Amino acid sequence: MAKATAVQAWSGSSRVRALTRDPLGLLAIVFVVGCLAVFVIFPVVRVLAQPGLTEWWRLFTDPRWLRLGGNTFLIAVLSTASAVALGFLFAYATSRPDVPLRHLFKLVAILPLVSPPFVGGLAFILLFGRRGLVTYSLLGLSGDIYGWHGLWMVQTLAFFPIAYLSLAGVLRRINPTLEYAAQDLGVHGLRLFCTVTLPLATPGLASAALLVGIYALSDFGNPMLVGGAFKVLATETYTQITGWGDIGMAAALSAALLLPSLVLFVLQRYWVEGRSYATITGKGSFADPPPMSPAVRWVVFTACSLVALVLLATYAVVFVGAFARTWGVNWRPTLENFEYTVFRGSQLWNSIRFAGTAALGGSFFAVIAAFLVHRKRFPGRAAVDFAAVLPAALPGTLIGVGYILAFNTPPLALTGTGAIIVAAMLFRTIPVGYQAAVAGLAQIAPSIEEGAADLGARPLRTFWDVTLPLIRSAFTSALIFTFIRSMNTLSAVVFLISPGNVVASASILALAEHGDWGQASAMAASLMSAVFLLLLAFRLITGGRLRLFEL
Amino acid sequence: MSMDNTTAHVRIDGVVKRFGGTEAVAGVSLDIGRGSLTTVLGPSGCGKTTLLRLIAGFVEPDAGDILIDGVSQRGLPPYLRKTSTVFQEYALFPHMTVFDNVAYGLRLRGLSRTALTEKVRHTLSLMQLEGLEARYPRELSGGQQQRVALARSLIVEPEVLLMDEPLSNLDAKLRVSVREEIREIQRRVGITTLYVTHDQEEALAISDTIAVMQGGKVMQVGTPRAIYEQPADPFVAAFVGQVNLLRAKIEGGSLRLGSLLLPLPANTPVLESGEEVILALRPEAIRIGAGSAGSEVQGEVVSRTYLGTTVRYRIAVAGQHLTVDDPDPAGRPLLTGVLTLSFDPSRLHLWPAGSDAPLSHQDSL
Repeated sequence: MAKATAVQAWSGSSRVRALTRDPLGLLAIVFVVGCLAVFVIFPVVRVLAQPGLTEWWRLFTDPRWLRLGGNTFLIAVLSTASAVALGFLFAYATSRPDVPLRHLFKLVAILPLVSPPFVGGLAFILLFGRRGLVTYSLLGLSGDIYGWHGLWMVQTLAFFPIAYLSLAGVLRRINPTLEYAAQDLGVHGLRLFCTVTLPLATPGLASAALLVGIYALSDFGNPMLVGGAFKVLATETYTQITGWGDIGMAAALSAALLLPSLVLFVLQRYWVEGRSYATITGKGSFADPPPMSPAVRWVVFTACSLVALVLLATYAVVFVGAFARTWGVNWRPTLENFEYTVFRGSQLWNSIRFAGTAALGGSFFAVIAAFLVHRKRFPGRAAVDFAAVLPAALPGTLIGVGYILAFNTPPLALTGTGAIIVAAMLFRTIPVGYQAAVAGLAQIAPSIEEGAADLGARPLRTFWDVTLPLIRSAFTSALIFTFIRSMNTLSAVVFLISPGNVVASASILALAEHGDWGQASAMAASLMSAVFLLLLAFRLITGGRLRLFEL
Repeated sequence: MSMDNTTAHVRIDGVVKRFGGTEAVAGVSLDIGRGSLTTVLGPSGCGKTTLLRLIAGFVEPDAGDILIDGVSQRGLPPYLRKTSTVFQEYALFPHMTVFDNVAYGLRLRGLSRTALTEKVRHTLSLMQLEGLEARYPRELSGGQQQRVALARSLIVEPEVLLMDEPLSNLDAKLRVSVREEIREIQRRVGITTLYVTHDQEEALAISDTIAVMQGGKVMQVGTPRAIYEQPADPFVAAFVGQVNLLRAKIEGGSLRLGSLLLPLPANTPVLESGEEVILALRPEAIRIGAGSAGSEVQGEVVSRTYLGTTVRYRIAVAGQHLTVDDPDPAGRPLLTGVLTLSFDPSRLHLWPAGSDAPLSHQDSL
């Protein structure tokens, strides 16, 4: 017995020794753990600690807050269901070689992912609002259309690409031979779809639904723009701070979103993911799946075309609105809307430099964190792994409120600076880069790194010479994803902006709230154009080698 | 079987390594002679690769020590050890050309440009890789990748070369020619080499010394001949080459095998009457046809497999099955019915039964 414990002490100390002989690695671990503790865990703890008993009590008893919770839940369920259905339609259509225009559909489905999620809300107002193109100019109606119907439609269009992206990956990895095998056994058409294709995609559907659910629950921009009297937890959090200055209640409301969001996240990450039927093999591409019957093909094609048209229309409306003198009244083209917002304002430039800094810093941080967690052995690895993916489950409003609470006082008094916005963007998008880096690392056999060490390369040298070049593509795609998301993010940064540090997304919201539709559209059009141009430039620089969004 | 201390280049001394609750290496001691090629042979999961990784420094032992030239390697990271590894999957750097792969170790040692180029060219020509300098690993055949991996390891002039199943990714024909190449180069360079494999034929063909491992322990160390002809236990006998393992019983000075009574071979250990034993007899030690008295048995053909150069018979003898090869079956009809077999008593091995005799192996023979 004594011998066994002695041996265990030995092996424990050998692990510690392995760390001490790699001081740089130890330093990196301390740095990563420290950053995640301060910028991810601490703000959450601050939010949970802020509300007093009365606020918690009110949250669970006051009918007003209960109704808010009901609203949030209702719209999240509706939007998730319709977004997943649309996402599956697009994923299915684009996975079939016999659907016309499938590459166009792929492209269209990507649009909402690279543009701010609330652009749909803005377009909805321009089309159906009090001075809306359809409602006022064409039909002569005037009235209040703000509410849950519009929000549902807008969120469906905003979030179906998330489901599409997740499901496209799932459908692509299902071996088409299975469908041929089913046909061979005498099944075809709807029966085949219901007995083979759909069951195989079910874990993927569940995963996509949970993912979309997280976005829908915590969506802030769209309910703000088109929700009207239909309020949800995220928007009310903002109102409590800006309208009433009640940070305690704001913290309680944003905390109320945390639990459901966390449940969805944990289900998605640890339960559904392990249940996938999709296979990842080293083999090249499979054969094409069997052709669909003409009737099905045309139904699918028409449905996709319709959605694509609506989606394109929303973007067209925003761009037209940017150049119209006064929307709904005076259609003469003008550049006036750009004058104060884009040409003289610094908001767009702020967005670019903050998002750029966050993307660069965040991608390096993510790669280092992924490397440490998956290549080094140290106590608390699992906790670091969880902290690195946790921000994906944190509602933006919670991060916003958390940062206000956490960084208002020394030693880390960041409120009012650009740094707090960069930090929020950076740590909000960490999971994207982290998971890309983890996937990249999984492709590298550990023996390749051991090979370098074996030939005399010290740990940092191995990381620099071997690991980093081999995960370069994961790194660059992480860089782009985080940049785009940071450019478009609204819910967290809207709490953190200060004069001189206003970013484009927050400015669009403010302008739209004031009814400055033209200027809001100009800003939105500029923001989207900036993202598209930077994406294009990047694609040209990398010679189009980089695959983004399944394209 | 122990080697002379003065020639041991690498000394593995009571090494233990646990993963979770299982002992992957359960107290291994082994001396590796300077300039020799020593093979660690064993089934998958026997701990042989872990042993190699312990020597390379990728994992640290929980107990025991590894000495190279008498110097303890405890706590030394891989990049400070004078060992170099050829990995099973080669582990070539996929983003580097053949030249850069081979030059990598030298670059870390800060060689001048001209000296480096000169040395890489020399090594590449030694490995017959001229003209492939600018290729990437994915553009090479399996055999070429194997040679690049070997070149990358040899160029840094390690004290000890470690090879982890280097041939397992090659097809069967190539395996034979590459293993001869490896042996040839190893002899020419005179480098102390530890070679890990699960392929007993490979081990017999290229080794100076073989250490047979099973369950984290070394079962036997010896020359290929000694391992094959004088296996230390039923496991070694069954793992290296083909063997018939039979249950028998000691009866006075004889061996009881079912209804048969055979004389005990002269070289057997002292066993008490009535003791159960396991008896090993290689197929090539059995001849079909009559022999001298006391070394003959009768058996009935159960099945036969035509293999081209031989016909392999399964023959029922006293309720147990024997595998017997007919080495020259050409022009003869396949045999059926009851046969007379004769065997060479000096090639019969026996051990007390009951230990951990793997009699299940018998059916797979």
